[in-house]
Amino acid sequence: MSELPPDEPAPISIEQLLLREDTWLGHSGRFTNRKVVSTGYSELDDGLMNQGWPLNSLVEVCQSTMQAEWQLCLPALRNMPGLVALLNPPATPFCQAFMQVGIDLERLIVVNAAEKADFVACFIELARAGVGTVLAWQPEDQLTYTELRKCSLATTEATGLCIMFRPAEAQQQNSPATLRVFAQLVPGGLEITAFKQRGFLQKHQPRPVIIPLPEVWQPALPFYALNQKYVASKPQPKRRLASVTQLPVRGKS
Amino acid sequence: MNGQSSRLWLAIRCSDLPLAALTIDDASTTPIVVAEKKVVVFANALAIEAGTCEGMDCTTAQLLTGCRVADRDLDKEQQVLNDLSEKLYQFTPHITRFCSSESADSGLLLEISSCLTLFGGLKNMTETINAFLVKTSYEFKMGLGHSEKGAWYLSFAGFDITGDETEALFLERLNPLPVELLFDYPKAMESLIKTGFRCFGDIARQINGNSLSSFKKRFGHDFIDALCDIFNIDQNFHQSSLFQKPRDSYKPQEWFEDEVQFEYPVTLVDHLKPAIETLLQQLSDYLRKRQQECQHIEWTIMDIYRHKEFFGVSSDTPQSYWTLLYDLTLIHLENKELPFEVDVIKLVCRHSLSLQNRSQVLDFEQARRRRASITDFAVTIAKLKARLGDDAVYKLSYRDSRVPELTNLAIALSEKSNQTLPEIFKKSLRPTWLMSPPEKLEERNQRLFWRGYVFLLVGPERVIGNWWDKPVARDYYLARRHDNLHLWVFFDLYEKQWYLQGVFS
Repeated sequence: MSELPPDEPAPISIEQLLLREDTWLGHSGRFTNRKVVSTGYSELDDGLMNQGWPLNSLVEVCQSTMQAEWQLCLPALRNMPGLVALLNPPATPFCQAFMQVGIDLERLIVVNAAEKADFVACFIELARAGVGTVLAWQPEDQLTYTELRKCSLATTEATGLCIMFRPAEAQQQNSPATLRVFAQLVPGGLEITAFKQRGFLQKHQPRPVIIPLPEVWQPALPFYALNQKYVASKPQPKRRLASVTQLPVRGKS
Repeated sequence: MNGQSSRLWLAIRCSDLPLAALTIDDASTTPIVVAEKKVVVFANALAIEAGTCEGMDCTTAQLLTGCRVADRDLDKEQQVLNDLSEKLYQFTPHITRFCSSESADSGLLLEISSCLTLFGGLKNMTETINAFLVKTSYEFKMGLGHSEKGAWYLSFAGFDITGDETEALFLERLNPLPVELLFDYPKAMESLIKTGFRCFGDIARQINGNSLSSFKKRFGHDFIDALCDIFNIDQNFHQSSLFQKPRDSYKPQEWFEDEVQFEYPVTLVDHLKPAIETLLQQLSDYLRKRQQECQHIEWTIMDIYRHKEFFGVSSDTPQSYWTLLYDLTLIHLENKELPFEVDVIKLVCRHSLSLQNRSQVLDFEQARRRRASITDFAVTIAKLKARLGDDAVYKLSYRDSRVPELTNLAIALSEKSNQTLPEIFKKSLRPTWLMSPPEKLEERNQRLFWRGYVFLLVGPERVIGNWWDKPVARDYYLARRHDNLHLWVFFDLYEKQWYLQGVFS
């Protein structure tokens, strides 16, 4: 005669629970997304989990209005297949600049959705469709945690990179995004601080990484010095050469 | 000549179509002429009595007889013929349209040989058709013949239809018809008259005597084809009458229309969903059975007081399956309240097109995945457009111009982007964001200001051009704002004003 199963299940110890594959552990990295695409900047890659932008996840970039967002994303976009959907961009992308850096204009789609409800619906639609890369700029109305959560869930069905640009103030709010970074232009370049990475236990204050800006953006010479003839004949006082700000505004002199 | 044809054609020539199509109320009591390009193409009996004739200048006709002049409307005439074809479809499926290029004569040609038994013989059938046509408001002349053109020209002769006609009789009846009836071939008609041909019989005798070759040399293939059709001559002597020219079949216009009536008044969009789904599934069945697809559907909601509201749903790509149309309809209804308590919802799809061939590329190496294009996301794009409107979703293209904002072109996703950047711009300093139109810069404390103080760094790059439209003369500079944001600003040499054109980001 076989033994009957006991009426009450045997108690399970905490150790046994921790051994289960589906138990979440903060720093185990068990549930972290290992699919990434390199940011194109080795220093930034080193500061991110799995050495790159996480794919199929929501990446949040907090910055004040327009910063150097294209400098941040362009190297990754070159390595990503598919389309690049720009949702609610702050201005019109200038096609000459994109052609100069070798981005195929056929890949760029612009979607203008200024209303918050439309923005969320379009973000979810684009992410779920797996168009490739979704770069979204949050509309004027702040997104609630629930709306961000919806966007975040939609990105889990995506196949590519989904980055949402949010205002600098949003850094103080909770967000379900997998990776949250703060971007700020500084004299040396673009300063990136990854202040939240899911599955990454931050023991110290996050160290900012500075991405250099293109050299062509920097003046080779002070503005006055461009006119060599003028400089040679009439050397300016040192104080005035230091900056072009004291140039009289054109048309007003 | 070939006497083996078994076909029988009935020509219905609308003799007053240009006037009847215009539906003028007092057409029977007032002298009216219908003019096309200032030339009279039709005059009613009163106008003819007053002295007008076809081909007269309409101003002359007006001054001469004081008649009213109406402009010809070819679309309405075609609509009348279409309506008539629809009604005559009950007698025969073989209906073709005959529109003269040189005169106002138009009409229909019915091939009735296969329908004679059904209607109890030729005489009975033509009488039935005649009785049917008399009820309409148009005037008709009928002609029976062995060929399309033969029947058409015999409609000018006005023979009674007895039911005992044979092909020989038709040819005999054609003989006395004047050559002037060949007005659709004006050059040939003129030459024939100059050569001494007076009637169709003269032409038939010439063909019997010297074959068609002499006509072919002088008048060309088009006219020869017409003569062959009139006299039923088979040009292919080696395989005489082995094959007959296929008859055109009239295809009546079809469209999908169906509705669902609710048992109770519906106030919520959610309650409409099952009905919408059912109707779209029926549409999908309809399209599938006919191997068709559609791009646009129309919804109508009605209440018990006969209030109606319409809305259309369009898709970028033709659809034969219902799911996308269902999603697009729901997007349309989303966040909207129903204007009244809905009693009936109706779906109409008026225009459909035949199913396009779709082929799939064999892609063993998944290379296609890397080359994903907009067509792969047609459904997503359609949903975005349904929500935001067509203008909110676009692509960019380069347009050659000296003025930066004019080089940026927003184009539809279906169009191809121009990506040929001139050599001169390949190494120019260009920002990633473009302000279009440019934003004015403020001047504060003799310094430039745009959300912060702006300092010039590099420049200028002078842009002059567009003189044929709005002349432009600008000096462009790379500038930096106090927070290290790089800007592309210019000084307008005409307006003496600083502007922000772009942002480097």
